[in-house]
Amino acid sequence: MSESERLRVVICYEFLKHLRRKRLYWILGVVIVAELAVLIGLPALGEGYPDNIMMMAAMLSIGPSLATIGAVFFAGDAIAGEFESKTGYILFPNPVRRTTLVMGKYLACCAAVILLILLGYGIVCISLLAIYGHIPIETAKSFGLCLLFAGSVLSVTFFFSSVSKGAMGATVITLVFIMVISGVIDGVLTMASQPSWFLLSKAGDAVVTVYGGYEAFLPGGTPHDMPPGMLEAPDISLCSLAMAIYLMACFLLSIWITKRRQLA
Amino acid sequence: MREPIVIDNLSKYYNRFLALDNLSLRIGENENVGLLGPNGAGKSTTLKILCGLLRPSSGAAYIDGINVVEKPEQALSRIGTIVETPGFYPFLTPEETLSYLGRLRGMRGDGLRHRIKEVIRLVRLEEWTTIKIEKFSRGMKQRLALAQALLHDPPVLILDEPALGLDPRGVVEFREIIEGVGKEKTVFFASHQLVEVTQICKKVAIIDRGRLLAYDDIAQLERKYQSLERAYLELTGGSL
Repeated sequence: MSESERLRVVICYEFLKHLRRKRLYWILGVVIVAELAVLIGLPALGEGYPDNIMMMAAMLSIGPSLATIGAVFFAGDAIAGEFESKTGYILFPNPVRRTTLVMGKYLACCAAVILLILLGYGIVCISLLAIYGHIPIETAKSFGLCLLFAGSVLSVTFFFSSVSKGAMGATVITLVFIMVISGVIDGVLTMASQPSWFLLSKAGDAVVTVYGGYEAFLPGGTPHDMPPGMLEAPDISLCSLAMAIYLMACFLLSIWITKRRQLA
Repeated sequence: MREPIVIDNLSKYYNRFLALDNLSLRIGENENVGLLGPNGAGKSTTLKILCGLLRPSSGAAYIDGINVVEKPEQALSRIGTIVETPGFYPFLTPEETLSYLGRLRGMRGDGLRHRIKEVIRLVRLEEWTTIKIEKFSRGMKQRLALAQALLHDPPVLILDEPALGLDPRGVVEFREIIEGVGKEKTVFFASHQLVEVTQICKKVAIIDRGRLLAYDDIAQLERKYQSLERAYLELTGGSL
């Protein structure tokens, strides 16, 4: 039996595990509620939908948050869980390379997260089509960036999962790393007008800013007392490069660590 | 004589703690050997190295002549294992779990389905095949662990406290299963239950602090020490 056949088996059953978990359906519910909040909330509050389709598309884009939550909740226990719950005692003594196991788990997590992202962007597209009669091409760019962002967050989560003793620890560390540490450093660098494209939180912003810079969405124009760096949209090419580096580096590290990790 | 399990000068350190100290052991084809020793003697460490879950600090372990560290996939294809009470994926059913593990071992189609039914019947989980494992008791998980160890009909069984968590009926049934399959397989199993070991095995290895103290036929040890219990206690430094 070839490793590619084994990989297919791992992907298939790992994806089945995701389908059986309640968390997938909870997150799907959150996606629908978040999108409905914008779609119903705006007219209900008397504001109506904005004239600028880009602004509406940006408001409906919950892709980065969705990718982060989805990736973290699906992948947090992918590796750490095998050690913590002792499921590794039945999985690892099989004649299959750990590289194959990690790759299979990663691709199964990708499939689950893509399912969420597809639902999110599906709602965006249908809503824009219903309200404005067309879908801007930037939505496709945003979708592509969102997939790349999800892949990089998954890799970071896999890295933390491979070094953590427990699944909860891996989940919390990843969330803190992306939302707190990366976010705070991003804020400090932006205030100091320094580049921050290499941070994952900034890369996530690119998913939304493809619809236009921050100033395009500020009601009443640009505030005068705001540092210039605050309004600069992240460079999409540099952000894509950063995401690709996170994706590859963290994924390869997680494979290397899992191969070396012992189940005592 | 073929020796499906060869342990050669195996040492294992956990940081500075020496768990295995130059342990050497050879198990012949179709032999059933019990591994005895007090808590912390190194039994689980030995079995986990054979299952590729731990790396030795020095020495080597072979399954059917294949080095477990150098060629783990090849070596592991020849064994079935139960290590402690393994965890199972709670959202899958026994049927799905066995199908997953069977397919990873290259089994498929009707052959796999038939074999899953066979091992499920053997461990008496027929009524639970489509129930998610999250609802299972520890004893039921242990039965499922035995099913997955036997699924691919391996020539070598490595079992670490396999009857842990089973009720008295389960222990008897388990013993009968191992006695049955053990006639055509090499079985190496660690246990604290001397009665269980004497009923399944003809030979035992007694270890303590990572060192091999005795490796002989049970009958020989009983002749020398009057009983296996006495042999165990004397060799491991206990009092009667």
